[in-house]
Amino acid sequence: MEAEEEYLEAEENLEAIITRIEHKSRKIETLLKQSKPVDALKTALEGSALKTRDERCKSANWIVVHRAVMAIKDVDGMISSLDPEYYDILMKYLYRGLATGDRPTCDQCLRIHEKLTEKAGLGCILRSLSDTVNTV
Amino acid sequence: MAAVAVHQFAECITCHAWSPDQSMVAFCPNNSEVHIYKLFGEKWEKMHVLSKHDQIVCGIDWSLKSNKLVTVSHDRNSYVWSQEGTEWVPTLVILRLNRAALCVQWSPKENKFAVGSGAKSICICYYEQENNWWVSKLIRKKHESSVTNVAWHPDNILLATTSTDGKCRVFSTYIKGVDSKESESSSSDLKFGEQIAQLDLSVTWAFGVRWSPSGSILAYAGHNSMIHFIDDVKSNPSAQSIPLRDLPLRDLLFLSDRVVVGVGFDCNPMIFTADDTGLWSFTKFLDQRKAAPSSSRGSQLSEAFGKLYGTSKQVPSNDTVEPSKPRGGAHENCITCIVPLWKRGNTTLCRFSTSGLDGKVVIWELDIPK
Repeated sequence: MEAEEEYLEAEENLEAIITRIEHKSRKIETLLKQSKPVDALKTALEGSALKTRDERCKSANWIVVHRAVMAIKDVDGMISSLDPEYYDILMKYLYRGLATGDRPTCDQCLRIHEKLTEKAGLGCILRSLSDTVNTV
Repeated sequence: MAAVAVHQFAECITCHAWSPDQSMVAFCPNNSEVHIYKLFGEKWEKMHVLSKHDQIVCGIDWSLKSNKLVTVSHDRNSYVWSQEGTEWVPTLVILRLNRAALCVQWSPKENKFAVGSGAKSICICYYEQENNWWVSKLIRKKHESSVTNVAWHPDNILLATTSTDGKCRVFSTYIKGVDSKESESSSSDLKFGEQIAQLDLSVTWAFGVRWSPSGSILAYAGHNSMIHFIDDVKSNPSAQSIPLRDLPLRDLLFLSDRVVVGVGFDCNPMIFTADDTGLWSFTKFLDQRKAAPSSSRGSQLSEAFGKLYGTSKQVPSNDTVEPSKPRGGAHENCITCIVPLWKRGNTTLCRFSTSGLDGKVVIWELDIPK
């Protein structure tokens, strides 16, 4: 009974989630035009609906995060100004990026992965690999 | 304030336990035997080899007051060994398991012991005087997967378990005739096998559950490099989950109500302390490595990732992966077991020993601020 209720709640919220992602996307475009790639990434990572199982929401959020990730030029600067609470979720998106197989995406993700691992440690990688509940 | 002694006993040690006077150590060298060594001055001598089990002995506990050894093995059996003269005499305990036993611990009063198993159940064994044997009572319900660790609450009745289903559970193991009815506990909790609490903090396998000395705090480690602390499990649980920077922990030990030592795949014990408000945090690694921390981290990671980052230039490499170099600490491989070494008369624990897959038993000593 409880699981059913949760599912229905999620259904209603899907539209809300998609709207929020579209909102984020516009904000990110503005920030990138203002040459603020780090803020753009933070906006992209914030409020990601990790518990939802809906693939559309996940893909929509991934597109937004991908846009912000590809716009990063100064990886060291970005990592040092990123709050630690975002490490785990950024790592999850990096693995999603590496899984695409697309050459420019993988190159960029690998570059960021190296610096993020140095900063956040191996525990960050472990958490992103082992978490099957909060997925991207 | 670190490793006091390092002893290489075998190629690999599964688990270990110390005798009540700490002159002898019993361990399983990754086979079906239990070796007992005694320290004579500076040298260790093998005193006994207990070989009743058919498969690897994965749990050993030595009771401090009654001087009995309990061993459990993957062969689904358990033996209670008592020392008679110079010999160790085994008594078979029929656990009634159809899967391997994974861990064992004597209760604080040493009248019971708990065994966690791969059969998704726990066995609580107690001694029946009339028939002169150990009886096993099973708690079969609730667990969805193997039970990796068990921990007794100081009240001798509550038992906490961790399992590969990621959950930590607390059960009542009250047995009529063995446990006396305490006037403070409510009668509803007293039923044998009753689940008092279930903690769903970890999405991955859970290991190393322990109660604090006062019994008010419960801690366990998750395989996703996190450690969880839960306060006041029975009535109003409040949890803190700390993500670790490095590799996961396998076992924990409370040195006091405010200090916890965690050991695991980093091969280096980690200290966690709680401040006055009860907020836990990682304090430091115990082992001083030869290389400076920042450079060793860089070299470790570039060793592992060097080839990965380097291949973006499409260079074909024929060299094989280098074996991991010893990192200059006391342990060279994963630490799987941590055992307290109480000093007579002390109320806070400051000595403990660890054993690992490198076959070493290392004794550590700390100064604990009150």
